[in-house]
Amino acid sequence: MHSTGLNTNQIMRQVIYALVLGVGASTLFFGWGILLQIVLGVISAVLVEAIFVALRGRNALESLSDGSAILTGILLAISIPSIAPWWLVVVGVAFAIIFGKQLYGGLGNNPFNPAMLGYGFLLISYPLQMTTWPVDFLSFSQAVDEVFNLANFDGISGATRLDDVKTGLSLGKDLAALQIHSTSQAWINAGFLLGGVYLLARKIIAWHIPVAFLSGILIMAILISVFDTQQHLPIQNHLMLGGTMLGAFFIATDPVSASTTPKGRLVYGFLIGVLIIIIRAYGGYPDGVAFAVLLMNMMVPLIDYYTQPKAFGQS
Amino acid sequence: MAKFAFKGGVHIPNPYPVEKPEIRQVPPPKQAVLLLQQRVGGEAEPCVEIGDRVLTGQVIAQTTGKLPTNVHASISGIISAIEMRPIPHPSGIDAKCIVIDSDGKDEWIKIEKCDKEFLNCTPDQVLQRIREAGIVGMGGAGFPTHAKITNAQGAHTLIVNATECEPGIMCDDSLMQEYPREIIRGIEVLMHACSAKKAIIAIEDDKPEALNSLLMYNFNDRISIEQIPTKYTSGAEKLLIKSLLDIEIPSGGYASEHGVLCQNVGTVKAIYDAVVDNKPLISRVVTVTGSGVETPRNYEARLGTSFAQVVESSKPSNQAHHIRMGGMMMGVDIPNTHYSICKITNCIFVNNPKPKPVVKECIRCSACVGVCPVNLLPQQLYWHAKSENIEKALDYQLMDCIECGSCNYVCPSNIPLAQYFSFAKALDRKLKRAEALANQSRGRFEFKEFRLARNKQERAEMMAAKKKALKEKMAKDKEKDQAQKDKIAQAMARVEQAKEAKK
Repeated sequence: MHSTGLNTNQIMRQVIYALVLGVGASTLFFGWGILLQIVLGVISAVLVEAIFVALRGRNALESLSDGSAILTGILLAISIPSIAPWWLVVVGVAFAIIFGKQLYGGLGNNPFNPAMLGYGFLLISYPLQMTTWPVDFLSFSQAVDEVFNLANFDGISGATRLDDVKTGLSLGKDLAALQIHSTSQAWINAGFLLGGVYLLARKIIAWHIPVAFLSGILIMAILISVFDTQQHLPIQNHLMLGGTMLGAFFIATDPVSASTTPKGRLVYGFLIGVLIIIIRAYGGYPDGVAFAVLLMNMMVPLIDYYTQPKAFGQS
Repeated sequence: MAKFAFKGGVHIPNPYPVEKPEIRQVPPPKQAVLLLQQRVGGEAEPCVEIGDRVLTGQVIAQTTGKLPTNVHASISGIISAIEMRPIPHPSGIDAKCIVIDSDGKDEWIKIEKCDKEFLNCTPDQVLQRIREAGIVGMGGAGFPTHAKITNAQGAHTLIVNATECEPGIMCDDSLMQEYPREIIRGIEVLMHACSAKKAIIAIEDDKPEALNSLLMYNFNDRISIEQIPTKYTSGAEKLLIKSLLDIEIPSGGYASEHGVLCQNVGTVKAIYDAVVDNKPLISRVVTVTGSGVETPRNYEARLGTSFAQVVESSKPSNQAHHIRMGGMMMGVDIPNTHYSICKITNCIFVNNPKPKPVVKECIRCSACVGVCPVNLLPQQLYWHAKSENIEKALDYQLMDCIECGSCNYVCPSNIPLAQYFSFAKALDRKLKRAEALANQSRGRFEFKEFRLARNKQERAEMMAAKKKALKEKMAKDKEKDQAQKDKIAQAMARVEQAKEAKK
């Protein structure tokens, strides 16, 4: 499928570089908060990883050098609201690295995507903080004040777009009357999409998962809009809203927790897409990427087993 | 161009290319150390003794058994030792070798020129000559050639493997450039021996000179030459057959069962020497290459020549080296150059030491899946091989792994995957042996139990029968006794009656 000529450390670094566009777009629309969260996420990831690896009697520096802890910190930091209190990302990252990775034996042995495990943990434990997003651009000082709880500004925060839409739709409001903020969301998603294309071009990820993931979303969204008379989010918004592109190119493609056979990756990606739409449309949570990925992580051994390619000479 | 390219494989450029890979002759060594252990067929039995004088080309040892192979003296001189010496093997084991001290004359045994053209010999006679010449697969497998041909009698196609797909090795390339006539002739000999109707020479497209020289000498329209894309493992027998003929030999099956005989081009040249010139296999072409030599080159050296002597001619740098016998992918690392060239030494890598790459955890990136030429899932296999879960590994077709090392080459975590698989296979063999042994022992034990029980029962039955017989006899005796007593009583009564009557 791919041979990048890169080693594991370099691969992790490339993935981090590929996030720049999406993160940049997010900063452009919603301000400095996200960068603050990334800094917090990375610092706590490095510290937790170092301490825990040392406790396990392994070489902390060597483990840190693979960059996977930093990547987990960044992915979680950009998934949570940019104005979330500072301790949220710290708790989430610690959970992700300790329970998501190190307790299983470190990089390569974790069945779940650590960042998504951390995200799921936070969403269940702190639903309010996890769904309060800035509605407008925040200056650096505003972001610092919000994150470190120094002052509260009225009117700078609101629920997630998807949450808004969901509540609005359930209250019977007309879709057109709802503020979807689709432009900024689309730009951020486009940023992650471009980063993903870069990873594809560098052959760091294979096409199977993102393509199947997006087809899953598309097909399921069409099915729902055709067969369910209830009002739903327009199909194109599903693709460019929330964590869709981040999920398709950066989360679901985490090689450790994803399916590894060519056919299996198609099944895995597609079902994640389907689950996302089901959760968005009927679930209790506004976005479904994290839970869809975690659910499919559990299916990976089964998928891998039943999608083994036919070996040469085997009938 | 071959039409049916296989999936996977890796393109690896020759790391130390040379402009023209000519063959340089290495003078016969002062001492030749000839390995008796053959890759296939066990250890050859010496038929000379210490102190004997031998001539070049004389048989000095023979393996017995199903796959007999001869070992010949590669120089003339005195047998100075028959002893254990280290052999080029990953485990660093010793094996029995015959050491010949040269008399400097290189005096040959009398070679009887063939009295007739090989075409007038029967295939059996040709095969006999191949067997006597001690020829084995010279691509590295070392399987006795005559046995392979015998198994493939009646094959429809002969494939001459001139792919030389392992990067760095150039000995076949140079052989084809220097001996095209002999190779074509050798193919005709082979076709005669296995009665194949057609032959295909498969050559990778990075060897245009070799291709041209073969084309120039090939006037036989039953022999075709096909270029195949340069890609590592294109030369693996089953994959090559797939590429050329679109026949997929089933797992565990042999090419011969499908009417195909595959022979390495170096073997073909050896067959020519044996059948046409009547010369046994006493020398071979070997590539010396690597970062530690100034001039990578091909040498023709007598078997038993030390690596050191051959490497010397390529001007090694003045430092310790990493030595590897065979290609950069499938070769074996050996500690130094104090080994001698054997029939399967196709290449000696002399590398400047490099720090070993740090092995990281598998991140299941599946780069290995993409390059595996036999379509396995190395990352899953690795998981099971590492935890020694052989049953699961077998489930993932461990036995179909050809240990080509393509997965090692692309692994971003530098995991030596193929070594894990070869270890798992060895473990499986060991477990199977232990299981067979346990089954045998259990069988014996169970039979013993059965035998004891049977004996006991037989004894009981016998005793019972005896007892019964005794009882019957006793009863009879008793009856007899009674009858006797009755008779006596009657007699007495009669006597009594008579007495009464007298009164």
